[in-house]
Amino acid sequence: MDTLVTITVVSSSKDSAEKAIDTAFSEIEKLEKLFDFFSPDSEISLINKNAGISEVKVSQDTLDILDKALYVSEKTEGAFDATIGAVITLYDFYKKVNPEDSSIKKNLSLVNYRYLTIDRNKSTAFLKKRGMYIDLGGISKGYAADNAVETLKRNRIHSGLVSVAGDIKAFGLKPDGKPWKIGIRNPRAKGQEDDIMATIELTDMAISTSGDYERSFINDGKRYHHLLNPRTGYPAEGCQSVSIITKEGAFTDAFATGIFILGPEKGIKTLEKMGFDGVIVDSQGKVHTTPHIRGKVEFKRSS
Amino acid sequence: MNLKGLLNSTTIADRILLFILILLSLSGIFFIKEVLPKGQIVRIEINGHPVYLLPIEKDRIVSVNGSEGNTIVEIKNHKVRITESPCDNKLCIQQGWIEKGSIVCLPNRVVVIIGTPEDESNKRVDAITG
Amino acid sequence: MSQTRELMQSQDKYRIALLSAYALALHGFESLLPTPIPWLRLGLANIITLTTLILYGIRAALMVTLIRVVLASLFTGTFLGPAFILSLGGGVISTLSMGIVLSLMPRLFGPVGLSLIGALFHNSAQLFLAYILFIQRIEAILLITPVIIFLGTLTGSVNGIVSDMLIKNLKKTDEKIQN
Repeated sequence: MDTLVTITVVSSSKDSAEKAIDTAFSEIEKLEKLFDFFSPDSEISLINKNAGISEVKVSQDTLDILDKALYVSEKTEGAFDATIGAVITLYDFYKKVNPEDSSIKKNLSLVNYRYLTIDRNKSTAFLKKRGMYIDLGGISKGYAADNAVETLKRNRIHSGLVSVAGDIKAFGLKPDGKPWKIGIRNPRAKGQEDDIMATIELTDMAISTSGDYERSFINDGKRYHHLLNPRTGYPAEGCQSVSIITKEGAFTDAFATGIFILGPEKGIKTLEKMGFDGVIVDSQGKVHTTPHIRGKVEFKRSS
Repeated sequence: MNLKGLLNSTTIADRILLFILILLSLSGIFFIKEVLPKGQIVRIEINGHPVYLLPIEKDRIVSVNGSEGNTIVEIKNHKVRITESPCDNKLCIQQGWIEKGSIVCLPNRVVVIIGTPEDESNKRVDAITG
Repeated sequence: MSQTRELMQSQDKYRIALLSAYALALHGFESLLPTPIPWLRLGLANIITLTTLILYGIRAALMVTLIRVVLASLFTGTFLGPAFILSLGGGVISTLSMGIVLSLMPRLFGPVGLSLIGALFHNSAQLFLAYILFIQRIEAILLITPVIIFLGTLTGSVNGIVSDMLIKNLKKTDEKIQN
C-alpha cells in the first residue's frame, strides 16, 4: 500500500503492547497482499484478470470488502465506484500526466459497479465486462484500520488508535481519561502553523478524509486529483476535502470518497440520511457540517 | 590586567550600556519566571516525545527511562522535582522543586514541563486525518 | 600610482585572508572546549571581527565574517544547514550593527561597548531567525531570550576587553615597525 501505518496502544505491559501491535501489523500486511492493485498475485488482480471471463474464488476478507464497496456505491448513487480502475489508470500522478478526452470516453463504459457481482455462498466475485478493473484504493485503508483494531482487541488491548495513512480508528480512552484527539488537515495549509483546521475527540469511532491535495498535480492551470467522478472520468469539483465520522473505518473511507464526488449539498444530505457525521470544505473554502457534530468538533481560529 | 587597566579600556557609554544590559536581562529572567502560569498537568518527555501526562494534584513518584538511564520524578504537594538522574552534572536535581516552568536533564534527554490542560490539548493531537 | 593601489589592494586581500584564518582557528578552538551550558557560545571569533572592524573598516570585517562562517560550515559539513543560517544571520547583522555605530558615533563606544552591541544584535538576530524558521512557539523563544541576552552580555564584555588589548598590542607593534 506504500502508506504510513501508525499504531498507538495503551497498555500496562510493554511486552503485550508490542505483541499486539506486531499482530495488528501482520493483519494489515495480509490484507495488503489480498487487495493490492499493483501486485499480480493479489486476489483483486485475479478478479481483474478474469474480468469478462470467469468468477474467481476469494477469501472472506475480499468478499467482505467488496460487499461493503457495493453497499457504499448504492448509498452514494454510484459516486463511489470501486470499478473506477479502468479510468484512474489513465492518469499518472507521479509523472503528472492526464489522459486525452477520447481515452476517458472510451473507458467510461468500463466503470460501473453494477457489473461487479459477489456470491457469498460460493465465495466468488465476478467482473462481467472484459477490461474492467477493481481498485480498492478508496476503501482498503479504512477496512485495514477496522481489522487492525479488532486484532488489537483480540490481543486484550482496551484502548488505542490505528492510523492507516490518515484513515483512523480510535477505541477506548487515553491514560488521562480523555478521548483521542484527531486533527483534521487544512486542505489549503500553507505551512506548519495552519496545518490543522479543526480537532475532534473520538472514541470507538473512525474518521477518514478525502482531499483534492493528496494525489494531485496541476496541468495548464487545472488541478487533477485522484477523486474521479465515475460518470465523467474527470476529477470531481465542488469540494476541497471531506471528512467522515462513523463507527466503521471501511465506511468512513469509502463514503469520504463518494461524498466528495457528490459535492457539498448532496453530500451533507446523504450523511444525514446515513446517520454519519462529517465536515466538508467546499471548493470556495466554506465549511459545511452535519448538524450534530457542531458541538464535538473544535475549529481553529484562522488569522 | 588590573581594574585601572579595565577602566581605561572602557568609555562611559560602554559602562552605561553594560549596566543597562545586565539590568534588563537579569530582570527579564526573574520576570519571565514569575509570569509563567501555574500548571495542572505535569508532562514528562523523553527525546521530545511525551511519555507521561500526569495531574499535579496526585502525589506520586515516577521513573522514566532516558538515554542514559532512569530519571526519577517526584510529584508532591503540587510541586515537581527530579530526585535522581544518571547525568554527570546533576543540574536537573539542583533545580529542586518547581511549581511552574520546566526542568531539563539534557544528558538523559528528559524534560519535565508543567503545563495547563488547554495548552496540552490545543497543541498536541494524537493523529491527523487528511 | 596604480602600482601603489595594486599593492594596497593585495595587502588588503592578504590581511583579510590572514584574519579570516585567525577567526576560523579561534572558532575551531572554541568548538573543542567542553560546554557545561549548551547555549553559552564564547564567540571568540568575534574578537577578530571587532578588531578587523576597528583597524581596517567595515568592508574588511564583513568579509572576514562571511569567509569564517562559510568555511567553518563547510568544514563541519553544516553548509546551508540550520546552524549555518543562524551563524550567517547573526554574524552579518552583528558586524553591520557594530560598523554602523562605529561610523556614526566613532568615539562614543570603545571596543567593549561595540562588542556588547555586536553581541546583542547577534543574539537577537539568531533568536528571531530561530523563531521564524525553526521554533514557531513564541513562548519558548521568549523564555530563553533574557538568559541568552545575559550570557551574551558577559561574553561580549570579555571579548571587548580582549579585542581592546589586541588592538593596543597591534598598534604598538605597528609603531615599533615604523620607528
